[in-house]
Amino acid sequence: MAFYLAKRTLSLLLVLFGLAILIFIIARIVPGDPARIALGPLATANQVLEMRHEMGLDKPFIVQLWDYLSGLVQGDLGKSFLTSRPVMQDIAQALPATFELVLFTIILQITISIPLGVVAAIYRDTWVDNLSRIISLVGVVTPGFVLAIILQLVASYKFQFFPVTGRIDAGIDYAATHTGLMILDSIIDGRWDVLGDALRHIILPSIALAAAGIGQVMRITRSSMIEVSGRDFIEASRAYGIPERVVRFRYMLRIACVAPLTILGLEFASLIGNAFIVEFVFSWPGIASYGVRTILEKDLNAVIGVVLVSGVFFVVANLTIDIILGFIDPRNRLREGAEK
Amino acid sequence: MIELNEQASTERFMTSRQMAWFRFRRNPAALIGATIVISVTMLAIFAPILSPSPQSAGSFVDFAHRHHPPSAEYWFGTDNVGRDIFTRVIFGYRISLSLVVGVLGFAVPFGVTLGLLAGYFGGRTEFIIMRFTDVMLAIPPLAMALAITAVLSPSLVNAMIAITMLWWTWHTRLIFRIVKAQMSEDYVEAAKVAGASHAHIMFRELLPNCISAISVKISLDAGFVILFGAALSFLGLGVHPPTPDLGTMVSTGSEYLPEFWWEALMPGLAILYAILGFNLLGDGLRDMMDVEV
Amino acid sequence: MDSILDISGLNLSFTTYGKRTQVLHDVSLRVGKGERVALIGQSGSGKTVTMRAIIGTLPIPPAKIEGGVIQFEGRDLLQMAKVERNRLKGTGISIIMQDPLLSFNPVLTIGRQMDDIVRYADVRLGNKRKSSLRKATILDTLQKVRLPDGAQIYDAYPMMLSGGMRQRVLIAMALLNKPRLLIADEPGTALDVTTQKEILKLLNQLVKEENLSLLLITHNLGVVREISDRVYVMENGYIVEEATRKDIFEQPRHAYTKKLMTSVLPLYGKRVRNFENDRQSDPKIEIQGVTKEFRAKVGFFSKKYRVVRAVDNVNLQIENGDIFGIAGESGSGKTTLAKMLLALHSPTDGQIKIDGRPLSNFSDSREFRRLIQIVYQNPGSSLNPKRTVTQALTVPLKFCGHDSTKIKSRISELLEMVDLPKSYASMYPHELSGGQKQRVAIARALSVNPKILVLDEPTSALDVLIQNTVIELLLRLRKELDLTYVFISHDLSLMRNFCNRVAIMFRGQICEQGETREIFTDPQHVYTRALLSSIPVISEQEEQQKPKVTDAERQAVLASSTALK
Repeated sequence: MAFYLAKRTLSLLLVLFGLAILIFIIARIVPGDPARIALGPLATANQVLEMRHEMGLDKPFIVQLWDYLSGLVQGDLGKSFLTSRPVMQDIAQALPATFELVLFTIILQITISIPLGVVAAIYRDTWVDNLSRIISLVGVVTPGFVLAIILQLVASYKFQFFPVTGRIDAGIDYAATHTGLMILDSIIDGRWDVLGDALRHIILPSIALAAAGIGQVMRITRSSMIEVSGRDFIEASRAYGIPERVVRFRYMLRIACVAPLTILGLEFASLIGNAFIVEFVFSWPGIASYGVRTILEKDLNAVIGVVLVSGVFFVVANLTIDIILGFIDPRNRLREGAEK
Repeated sequence: MIELNEQASTERFMTSRQMAWFRFRRNPAALIGATIVISVTMLAIFAPILSPSPQSAGSFVDFAHRHHPPSAEYWFGTDNVGRDIFTRVIFGYRISLSLVVGVLGFAVPFGVTLGLLAGYFGGRTEFIIMRFTDVMLAIPPLAMALAITAVLSPSLVNAMIAITMLWWTWHTRLIFRIVKAQMSEDYVEAAKVAGASHAHIMFRELLPNCISAISVKISLDAGFVILFGAALSFLGLGVHPPTPDLGTMVSTGSEYLPEFWWEALMPGLAILYAILGFNLLGDGLRDMMDVEV
Repeated sequence: MDSILDISGLNLSFTTYGKRTQVLHDVSLRVGKGERVALIGQSGSGKTVTMRAIIGTLPIPPAKIEGGVIQFEGRDLLQMAKVERNRLKGTGISIIMQDPLLSFNPVLTIGRQMDDIVRYADVRLGNKRKSSLRKATILDTLQKVRLPDGAQIYDAYPMMLSGGMRQRVLIAMALLNKPRLLIADEPGTALDVTTQKEILKLLNQLVKEENLSLLLITHNLGVVREISDRVYVMENGYIVEEATRKDIFEQPRHAYTKKLMTSVLPLYGKRVRNFENDRQSDPKIEIQGVTKEFRAKVGFFSKKYRVVRAVDNVNLQIENGDIFGIAGESGSGKTTLAKMLLALHSPTDGQIKIDGRPLSNFSDSREFRRLIQIVYQNPGSSLNPKRTVTQALTVPLKFCGHDSTKIKSRISELLEMVDLPKSYASMYPHELSGGQKQRVAIARALSVNPKILVLDEPTSALDVLIQNTVIELLLRLRKELDLTYVFISHDLSLMRNFCNRVAIMFRGQICEQGETREIFTDPQHVYTRALLSSIPVISEQEEQQKPKVTDAERQAVLASSTALK
């Protein structure tokens, strides 16, 4: 098992490495002079030259690449032009909000889509199945921002159930100091008022973000369950007299959830992307908002930082999924490492 | 031991074509999807003829009729400068469909070819191509697309480039998987023994086995490309005003929430409608194809 | 004799795509207590459906039982409450599944799967047993199927066991809850014939030791002879004949039964057809000291290789006009050897010459491809499902330089040669039957006018009644086109009646070769003798003429089906 993990980690690190280089190259070959952009159109030629020197743009390409990579390893992403602070710091400040949102969304996705998919498969072709397929369709088909707007219109404006924007009420004075996650920290601190408020704020953006993934994963869960139920050993289990619920939930589900979990891992990439939109609409103070701002301002180092951090997220998420899958289906680890 | 029935095909009570058609007929979703896609395409192609107020698609202003709610005259209402939203929506479909054609037109051939090469040759070729694909896949698509369009300038073409650059990866992965599975089938070896060239085997033997998967994927992709493009322009990185683009319309419209809700909602629903159509069609095709394989 | 199972007048239909088809017509059969009954039928005869109806795993919406009675120990299963019927699963009636690989849950250990079977039976019957007691029962049952290493198997995953072991475990799983009626679905079919023999022996022993009644579902008449007392023959959902074992082989009455009997190729006796090569014999193919090693890496980082020697120092001479058989079980290396003849693999050592020329000189030339071609076992995968017959036949023609204007006429010619109507040219493989597909594959191989044809189990995937027509076709083509055949197979009965010379392969080596008649009537090598003695035959006379092999000798050469991989 450890061997399998080591192998996966190594290949993912390679991917990260390639990612970092790729982003660097793209950033450097893109037209436009970062220094000029940073200083604005009124800068003089001298100022631009000075800026270029400060940014290290006059060094040879390889040296720049080396500086960048060595900086990365130490956690240094350069300085932001907008805020003149280290990018790492800005990102670290914005990250917990996004992390909380994404985490909440994933939990929402797993707890809704897999059970619903299983139920739809078991009660195939009944009203339950049809209803779930409609829900899944709506989720997949509705763009995140459209759903966000509809939710805002209906839940916030019309019915006033949920606040329109933000992560927490401006009036509440609280800082999440333990984990950075409001929900967890408020439970730790016993601040139930904060908890309630934070939950009310996170629900709508979460739903908007989760919808597409729920739709996808539910559908895959359903078809995966149906496919597994046709396999020989399932019929064999029934012939041996194993009760239906055991067959379904211990045998079928375990094998069938490989496909949805894999998709969930891939979903993660688009989740981060969609988070950009949702954070934008709901003014959620996360990395995506930060990212959009810096992109629009062409703050190069910050952009690189944001893209990189998102990439790391994705890669780590996939590793986690692989680990889980390794537990579920021993064939994976046996096949790769074994001396059969 | 596999046993094949000697029953000749003429004795079978239904050919596989009939079975596929039966499934398609029983699948209302596929029919609905096809209808929607056709309607969107027709609207887009014949936009100048079909739209009630073609001038709304340009820099027309009519301040007397700003912010009118949906009515018999203005089906979707008017926007902040008095233009007919319905007209702008169907012109917006033109942009969306051009995006689809442009992106898929490049991404699909490129991605499919890479997948074929990687799957067929294996070894070093496979390693290089698939690792590269993995890296590209690890980049969160929206973030990358945003970065590219931000640094180049916002325009339809640049948006297309940004999306295409990442889109081909999905096709490569899909084709790679299919080809890898097919490589252990005897007919591939039989072709080699018959002396077929690499190109022949890849494009004439392996590719036909991928066609059904590709068609389903293209159908579904069309919907997602539209979604993606709308997302980009929603964030301000799509086309320039006054060109009507659905995403931009939602964005500007959202400034007037909640009173003039139709200005954001109608274009949003229009996007949804198009994506829905492609999605249903893709699903319907998938159901149909499964029977034949 | 008391019946333990009594089916009368069973009628069953299936509804697919809106159309209802009657699958079982008035089926009646009886299994007495302690009796072994065989239900014979080819694919599509309805035997599998009958089996499922008895056990209760029929998917009831598409399937519908129109009428009839299935009595088990006197009570009608079809009238029973679901709960009661479920109680009988595994405890009253138990099944041994057909496919040893697919019948296991791949992600659970064997022990876990067996424990579940015992545990839930306990629940249904109201027993309470501790897990240690259950494990004891499981290990005990594994002993009964002659698997000595019970504890190790308990902790293993299915993919770690060999095919023979898996089959034994499947039998053990069926026996766990002490059933009274055992239903065996094509036992040992997916295994080597030597392993199959052991499995059948085991089943016979168990029936006696455990006081079981056995219902055997099969298509293989030889198996029927080894392990049944009474026989039912099924065709297209009808029971067409019922007889004792003796009678069915000596005096079959129904036309279908007679057809089945004659289609089984004899190993010995008067009906055997001897094939002679009457052509001038210069050696066509010379295989000299050929060895093929495959290297598999051990572990990810280590530089160590594990060497698998698929072919080990093989020397053969195949003469012009021969139908040369290369026989062996799985893993013997025969397929690798065949592929080397086509230059798909190159030998690690030694060389192959055709017409005196070493293969390495001209193997990537067109000339080579026009000299030797191959027909594969399964036409379902050797023909591209997305290409029409014409497209499939065009490939070798085009790439071997055939005049492109003449391709169409050549294709018509080829179809005629293999007895297929010209209209089939535009069809796709899935529109053709198995036998027709194989004919197309043969046409493809012959399109470039080769002189040598490698036939890799060309009839194994076909129904037994069709096999003979394909063989007849091959014989005719050989005469018309002056061909030499290299025939790879595990089916020795077929080889006896088709090849003039034979080589037996075992673990990569040729253990015996020579004229077919001599090898079969007087085999020298112990493996050949063990192989021949394992083949199920359909008459007592043949049985007598098989070579005798002691248990010790058998153990020495057979891949043990009782040790972990």
